[in-house]
Amino acid sequence: MITRTVIAGAITAALALQGGASIADEANACIGNSGPVTGPAAFGGKAIRMGAELAVEDINAAGGVLGQELEFIQYDDAGAPPRGVDNVRRIGLADNCVAMIGGYHSTVALAQRDPIHEIGMPYVGTIAANTKVIENGRDPNYMFRVSAKDRWVTKFLVAEGMQRSANNAIGIMYENTGWGKGAYPDLQNALREQGLEEVGAETFNWEDTDMTPQLIRLRDAGAEVLIMWGLDREGNQILRSLQKIGWSPQVIGAWGFAGNLGELAGELANCALIMQTYSWMGELEPSAQALYDRMQEDFGIGSQEEIRMGSGVANAYDAVHIIAKAIEIAGSFDRAKVYDALFEVEHEGLVTSYSPAFERTEERHDAILPEAYKLTAWYDGKLLPLDQTPCE
Amino acid sequence: MSEVVQYFLAGLGIGGIYALVAIGFHIMWSSAKAVNFAHGDTLMLGAVLTIVFLDFGLPIAIAIALAILVGMLFGVVLERVAIRPFATQARSIGWMLTTIAIGIMLESYTTISFGAFARPLPSPLVENPVIILGAGIYPQELLIPIAAIAIVAVLHVFQRRTQLGRAMRAVAYNREAAGIVGINVTGIAMISFAMASALGGLSGILVAPVIQASATMGLLLGIKGFAVAIIGGITSAPGVVIAGLLYGVIEKFVDGYISTAAREAVGFSIVILVLMIWPQGLFGRKEIVKV
Repeated sequence: MITRTVIAGAITAALALQGGASIADEANACIGNSGPVTGPAAFGGKAIRMGAELAVEDINAAGGVLGQELEFIQYDDAGAPPRGVDNVRRIGLADNCVAMIGGYHSTVALAQRDPIHEIGMPYVGTIAANTKVIENGRDPNYMFRVSAKDRWVTKFLVAEGMQRSANNAIGIMYENTGWGKGAYPDLQNALREQGLEEVGAETFNWEDTDMTPQLIRLRDAGAEVLIMWGLDREGNQILRSLQKIGWSPQVIGAWGFAGNLGELAGELANCALIMQTYSWMGELEPSAQALYDRMQEDFGIGSQEEIRMGSGVANAYDAVHIIAKAIEIAGSFDRAKVYDALFEVEHEGLVTSYSPAFERTEERHDAILPEAYKLTAWYDGKLLPLDQTPCE
Repeated sequence: MSEVVQYFLAGLGIGGIYALVAIGFHIMWSSAKAVNFAHGDTLMLGAVLTIVFLDFGLPIAIAIALAILVGMLFGVVLERVAIRPFATQARSIGWMLTTIAIGIMLESYTTISFGAFARPLPSPLVENPVIILGAGIYPQELLIPIAAIAIVAVLHVFQRRTQLGRAMRAVAYNREAAGIVGINVTGIAMISFAMASALGGLSGILVAPVIQASATMGLLLGIKGFAVAIIGGITSAPGVVIAGLLYGVIEKFVDGYISTAAREAVGFSIVILVLMIWPQGLFGRKEIVKV
């Protein structure tokens, strides 16, 4: 009995040491992702997969990273934080990947901060934009992002809203979720920086089918511009409720309305302005056109408007390239070295020119600066760059 | 004034949706003393299948008829595999889990095959709102409560004037006695589920132009429809419709005069309060179980 216990203990200790050694030493040549492959936001998971797989193909076609083929592994979190946390452990411990890229939901990304730091694995977000995902007070901070940052987005939307309101009268409609509640203080701060206050702020829940009460209050408060923070389905209900109460303020939205708002609301969505980091619509640069052609071939994309959450595709594409460059600079798959190397990466990306990608301040763990944000507009069911529409 | 009318009309529209779901629960409970907890997903099935059939190029009338037919078959299969094996044993509640499980599976499969995005079901009745006393509402939203009231009226006649309807009432009143006098109790239960599911499919088609079709569209509607069925008195068809309409209107007035955030808290508080005072619901009859 004693012998058995001793042997079992020795085996356990050996396995623990082996596990510890593999984590402390070099990780594997893979990049993981936890994103919504199923559930209402599965389009976001698909966008990330398309961008990441295209980048991995390019990198491997050019000889891989440090002579090894890079692998992309995606796990489904379905937008559920507990599954996102579990996926971090699968990617960091079981797969022993060198880094991971983030998913769609901010609530998931916020929950992933702890396991990321327990493992010490660089995380590069690709869509989830909550400010506190990155600005989290940790040092070292393993959370990076190649996507929008809500705090910067709110400043961008407020500035664009002010240009379109004679009296700087801005009302806010935001979804009653972690993402929406996280953005609201940022919106208030962005307005205060301009010496303003919102004329009113209202919330809505997922699946709400009528927003007339909230909109009547905002209309009666004198709002001229409506900043919306939410997703397509509820955005459609906002536009329909505006039609019902006969009110047509200028609508400016965060990129949650970049999915299929035009299909749902039809002409009502015309000239609804949406912030994005990238647009695949209209005429593309040759390099982007080549990627679009491959998306058609590899992922069955039929037309440009079928690319849902196109910013996510471009962000993920750039994020994987930046990680690959960091590994090359580090000269190793050691996560700590790759972490340090991320601050040295310079990259001419699809979204912008990253020069450098990151800096050693909490704020600059975000790679896409507000100058790179783009204003697009829904028009005739398509989300186009603003200058390709008659909208202003 | 126009605000009050706006909230009232919007509330009727939403309340009509709850009422349609609740009627389905009433039909199932009346004959089988069990319900399909995934009944909200039957609405989803009707709406999603109509869009899929339209994508195949079928005319709208055939697409709707086929979607309702598939919804009805879904109810038959569900009753056979998820209700009957569990509901025959006294005090068995296994059917709760099986129907919830089937709903989750259906939602997951729909997300994979239909896509994650909500999609519109075209209807000329949501193109332009009509203005009533200064308040705007889509004709489709007005059609929903009218449809709920019409369905209850038809159900009332069916239950009292047809042999099948009377047999269903007999089973609802006393299963054992109905069986003794020669009524096929299991057959009646199956027909009830088929009727409820067909109605669910039709309801989904009616509400989809307003709320859009998606894999998850039935989840909240199912929960609220069940809550409405309970507070209305699940044994009373007119009761569940009245409760549905009232619940929708109250929700909109809470939205309008208190806040959107308070809506669910106030709504479900009312549910609890009503059940404390009238355990059988507002219009339900007290059920006596002989042991």
